[in-house]
Amino acid sequence: MEAGDRIDAIMLAAMASYLTGEVLVSSVTAMGLIAARLAQVTHAPDLMVLSTPESGVDVAPMTTLTLGEFWSGSRPAITLSMEEIFDAIFLDRFRIWINPAQVDRAGHANISAIGPWSRPKVALVGSRGIPEDTAHLSQILFYLPQHSPRTLVEQVDFRSGAGYGAEGPPHLGQAGRPTALVTNLGVFEWDRAGALTVKSLHPGVSPAVVRDATGFELAGLEEAEVTAEPDDTVRELIERFDPLGTRHLEFMSGEGANRKRVEIYERERRLFHLTRPRREGGRP
Amino acid sequence: MSSKQVSLEEAVAQIPDGATVAIGGSSLSRKPMALVRALARSSVRDLDLVVDVGGPDIDLLIGCNKVRRLRYAYVGFELLGLAPHFRRARQEGSLEFEEWTEYTVMAGLDAHIKGIGFLPTRTGLGTDLLTVNRSFRLIEDPFTGQSLVAVPAIAPDVALIHVNVADRAGNAVILGDAHIDALCAKAARTTIISTEAVVDEAELQRYGRDIQIPRIYVQAVAEAPWGAHFTACAPSYRVDMEAIEDYLQAARQADSWQAYLERAVLVSEEARVSSLGGAERLIGRLWV
Repeated sequence: MEAGDRIDAIMLAAMASYLTGEVLVSSVTAMGLIAARLAQVTHAPDLMVLSTPESGVDVAPMTTLTLGEFWSGSRPAITLSMEEIFDAIFLDRFRIWINPAQVDRAGHANISAIGPWSRPKVALVGSRGIPEDTAHLSQILFYLPQHSPRTLVEQVDFRSGAGYGAEGPPHLGQAGRPTALVTNLGVFEWDRAGALTVKSLHPGVSPAVVRDATGFELAGLEEAEVTAEPDDTVRELIERFDPLGTRHLEFMSGEGANRKRVEIYERERRLFHLTRPRREGGRP
Repeated sequence: MSSKQVSLEEAVAQIPDGATVAIGGSSLSRKPMALVRALARSSVRDLDLVVDVGGPDIDLLIGCNKVRRLRYAYVGFELLGLAPHFRRARQEGSLEFEEWTEYTVMAGLDAHIKGIGFLPTRTGLGTDLLTVNRSFRLIEDPFTGQSLVAVPAIAPDVALIHVNVADRAGNAVILGDAHIDALCAKAARTTIISTEAVVDEAELQRYGRDIQIPRIYVQAVAEAPWGAHFTACAPSYRVDMEAIEDYLQAARQADSWQAYLERAVLVSEEARVSSLGGAERLIGRLWV
């Protein structure tokens, strides 16, 4: 069986399995938010899932492009300030699935620049909160919707996040360490010594495909297990949490992605107003 | 209480060349876009910008050649893509960039508020930020000997913040995510608030704990309906994706960018809303 168009569900089920306990979970990306909600209903009922990067706990019934911040305005909800979010990070009561532009063998992540930082070939967005996450969290989780030699590399062009490199372990402090990487080809984990190991390859993915798609030598490809296929219940839950298909945007680019984005944007407000009345127009 | 109400143009006229300006909001959420557009129309130059999570605010000011230096944790358009002028300027090295992180921008403002030169954090350890950000210093914890990053104080001359509701004295209500706006307001010597609506003091009091910025930190208030547009202003209106696509298309070429500025930035806010089909059309498309 080929993973093909079910890759989102396979990745989401794998991502959900890493979320446990009573912690805040960030929703910076659609895949991260859906994985958290899946974990909540399957094995981790005590997770607190944010509906925007900084606010609205357990209040969004579905993933949207532009309405995350509006769920908590439409009914009473627990809201958190930026100070509270960072306290949760510093206290290791926070989890986030990070989707970087590059991840390397030693678990460094890059969202700042492709090429040298001072004169980049492609200037990306800036390190945002990744230095905070990697300096404080005991479990650091990465995913890559496009596993390729350009995304999974020997050494990142810029270390936005700390990893297991030469300068890593002493600086990772009491807690922080890269833990798992879920891609569209497989599931990978760093062991305590900082070596990246193959945990499983998704159904239909051959070792040769992964070898060609990885920017460095990966051991254990031939012996890897096959990632578990999520059952129909999991697929139905994913559809329920993301009826608009915002997760698919993370696997798309170019014109196709633009069309999909416009389609979701047009539909999502109507879906929102099915359960939340529209406010009086023009009144702040 | 004395009124601090002014027009957008009057509000930005007090910002001198070279000023350090902190901008509130977060990427596509409640950015003070009307104030930013007024700044773009003014003759000010060589701004030293500070932003935690930047988006079209920063990008527009770079696109209008108003910026000398930028301290930032992020500049982008989220799922809609990279910020075009920011990206070009970074790749050409045409202005001074200093990459910070989300918490360290907060810590820098907080250090200034507390009247101290720096605040220590573990944030940044083991990353290349310590190489490219010359303002950060690696220090030793005097008690444990542990390595820490010293984040220097950030002292903005001006903060620009957009809010849902305010009174004439500057008490300001934020109803959606508050981002780091209260920190910006406290740290800046001059805080300029733009607001969807100005209400009287008695009505403002009814917002209770949603009054996030008290007037002791505010020096000017300008009324600006749709003042965050084309970013979102929760719980009222969402991101205008059509207007963002228009911006991103225009930013590709010098001539289309100039035409964009003339129709969408170098005009009054009222004329801008009219050119978008008027408030009724905006309400129809964007009101939540």
